[in-house]
Amino acid sequence: MLLVVIALLPLTLVSCALWGTQSVGGWSGTAFHDGIIYAGTGDGRVVAINSSTQSLEWLYAVVMPSGGMSCGQSSVSAPMYGTPIVDGDLVYVGTYSGQVYALTIARGTERWVYPRAGSMGAIVGMPVVANETIYISSSDGRVYALDTTYGDLKWKSEPLADKLWTSPKVMGDTLYVSTLDGHIYALSVETGQLLDWSFESDAGFASSPVIYEDTIFLGSFDRHLYAVRIGSDVPMWKFPQEKPAGNWFWASPIVNEGIVYAGCLDGKLYAIEAETGEKLWEFDTESPIVSSPVLMDNLLIVIDESGVVYVFDLDAEIRDEAVPLKAIQIGADVNSSFCAHDGLVYIRGENNQLYAVDIDKGGVSWKISLTIEE
Amino acid sequence: MGFVEVWYLIIGNPVLNVLIALSHILGGSFGLAIIALTIIVRLISWPLTKRQLNSTKALQDMQPKIQELQKKYGKNQQKLQQEMMKLYKEAGVNPLGCLWPMLIQFPIWIALYQAIMGALATTPENLLALAQRLYSWDIVNQAIPLSSKFLWLDLGHPDPYWILAIIVGGTMWIQQKMTQAPAVDPRQESTSRMMTLMMPLMFGFLTLMFPSGLALYWAVSNIIGIITQYFVTGGWGYLKLRSPFQSTPVK
Repeated sequence: MLLVVIALLPLTLVSCALWGTQSVGGWSGTAFHDGIIYAGTGDGRVVAINSSTQSLEWLYAVVMPSGGMSCGQSSVSAPMYGTPIVDGDLVYVGTYSGQVYALTIARGTERWVYPRAGSMGAIVGMPVVANETIYISSSDGRVYALDTTYGDLKWKSEPLADKLWTSPKVMGDTLYVSTLDGHIYALSVETGQLLDWSFESDAGFASSPVIYEDTIFLGSFDRHLYAVRIGSDVPMWKFPQEKPAGNWFWASPIVNEGIVYAGCLDGKLYAIEAETGEKLWEFDTESPIVSSPVLMDNLLIVIDESGVVYVFDLDAEIRDEAVPLKAIQIGADVNSSFCAHDGLVYIRGENNQLYAVDIDKGGVSWKISLTIEE
Repeated sequence: MGFVEVWYLIIGNPVLNVLIALSHILGGSFGLAIIALTIIVRLISWPLTKRQLNSTKALQDMQPKIQELQKKYGKNQQKLQQEMMKLYKEAGVNPLGCLWPMLIQFPIWIALYQAIMGALATTPENLLALAQRLYSWDIVNQAIPLSSKFLWLDLGHPDPYWILAIIVGGTMWIQQKMTQAPAVDPRQESTSRMMTLMMPLMFGFLTLMFPSGLALYWAVSNIIGIITQYFVTGGWGYLKLRSPFQSTPVK
């Protein structure tokens, strides 16, 4: 009996550690605006870094109550998954503690927070700004529309799923959102009312929708990338057509000039004809691709989880197997979305460091720690 | 290959994938999948359980002799231990034998805890990590994401109403009482009573901290244990012999 008690003790301690003090996580990435890099950090802060001087312009710490039967402090830093988004003189960020913050880009002071008290449900997807409205999906299964100036609630949709972890997309008067349980819903951007069309799949959707012309592209848990024509009940195509890929299409694809570029958790980057779903070429990074690819002029930039930055020249003729122009190791794992500007790629590593990778020189231009003492 | 990789390869990932597949087969109910997995685990460990129950039964049958020894050598603990070990040896009973099925369940608890937290993907990190642990079976991938709702429970979080804690603690107490032999020595009796209470209390407390999916496993496992014990040992054992408020056995 004593043995049982002794053996249970570590279990109890592990339990205490897991449930009492939650470690801060999140994979909020980087956004570039007017010479400043905005990023959510791994220790629950929003930071603004001057890209020329690599100096900290400001930081804003987001905290949340630790909750439950805590063995530690009463509040902890709030993880952030969605990348900050800049619009006008404000930067917006949604937190896992279930609040949306609007901070001034000049000083990082809080303009408004929604809700002012409590939580709207954990936010994982990135917000979207359009028509002076910020649209954000929440873990309570609803999409929220907030006024960008004052943070007032314009509308919230009916619950669409158990939880919404993807980013909505706005096209014209319609907002599209994908769900983990395999639906694409279309909502009125004015009222949040469900529109007539929706799409249902046998498997859940892992990625946020991407819209190109009148087609939605998104990845599924059934290891396929879906192309769904808006208004249609059946997919236009599923990729791969013969047998499923090696893993989920977790990252949202990007579409450029009729070609879909999709990274897969099996480590492969696929270039697919948007109209037909035919594979044009593929490249195996040998490490899962968690972040969405980014375009910079004619260059396609892809980063795998092990932190290798691959650069492909889209002007070059590629057949079957692509060969990257550059492959640059930054020395840290990467799960966050990233941005590129003027030949530099800004990446937040899982080690909470910000890297600036110079594509021309083929190396890390500079890096700074985002674990900053206030 | 390190210990962690071997652990996931042999125990962690099979438990996770079987649990998710069961959930898909059982109409998407993760709670029913946990109950089904509990039954499977109990079936697999049946040979061990049977040995344990036979041991318990043998110990029950030996009680008059043990009590006689306790009366005879009550003041000489060393002699009492020697005589009791002799008695156990003659009867071919290992008094610690009943602990093994419990200890063997620890890796299953840990695997189940990881499987529940992983499969329910309560955090985005868990969902991303799940991708690397799933087999390529269609039945598994199509089941994602799983619903954590079962009856009044959110299987990824502790039961806020304490109902499961009471069930786990209560069923564990009954199971303990069915096997806990009465002692003549008041000090032994007191220790025995404390231990009989301590285990259910500890598991009740753990139920309040662990995801209710794991506590559901404990509750169902205890209930199955009570039922099998009842039928194999032929009744309620020591539970019917005395109430929890009595300190001396009823002869």
